Amino acid sequence: MINVDTNITGPLNSIRPGAGTDSLGMPKIGISDGKKSGFANTIKAAKNYISEVDDLQQSSDVSIQDLLSGKNEDITSVVSAVAKADMSFKLLVGVRNKLIEAYKQTMNMPL
Amino acid sequence: MEVDSSFGPIDIAISGMRAHGKQMKVISSNIANARTSDAGNGEPYRRLQAEFKTDEDIGGVKVDKIVKDMSDFLEILDPGNPMADENGYVAMPNVSLPVEMINMNIATRMYQANVAVLKRYQQMVETTLELLR
Repeated sequence: MINVDTNITGPLNSIRPGAGTDSLGMPKIGISDGKKSGFANTIKAAKNYISEVDDLQQSSDVSIQDLLSGKNEDITSVVSAVAKADMSFKLLVGVRNKLIEAYKQTMNMPL
Repeated sequence: MEVDSSFGPIDIAISGMRAHGKQMKVISSNIANARTSDAGNGEPYRRLQAEFKTDEDIGGVKVDKIVKDMSDFLEILDPGNPMADENGYVAMPNVSLPVEMINMNIATRMYQANVAVLKRYQQMVETTLELLR
């Protein structure tokens, strides 16, 4: 006899936005506040993420400037900073597109 | 070593690139000084060697220290040289060019391997992000 877990929303609970657990380790998307999640909270979390992505972008900008001005001659650190900034920016864009799409779909819902 | 960050593989690959870049520096110094009979301390240039060590924090690699190769110097017969000893031999660095060439190939390939890891990891993350579309 095979036991079938009927609680199909169980796994989904752990991936809802705002859950705070980010196994990716990228700057955390959610705030672990145990509050009920909603679209507004997700937007707020995305706002936090934007500032973290911005920090990474700024540090990559600074390292490029340091390289070009001759302050820093280690090109690998520039590559590292740029790779990190690029990766987190791509995640941000992916999440943003998804959010906007979700918003549009919700707004176009016939009532 | 713990890799709990999505940037972990980047840091590790970068540490490998940096370490093998330093290795390249050591090799270029060895090759440039392959015929330096006076390294400033009264003896010929001694071959240098980079010692790699695991970077415990990120799980990458780092150049622990650069040690001198204490093997014997090469003696070449050159009686006309003012630095020759009574038998006419001049001490030359213990650098062997074929060895350095092989080490240079290894360092180049290791650098390329680390860059390949970095590129592949970026591709992997991009593939994951495609799931969002």
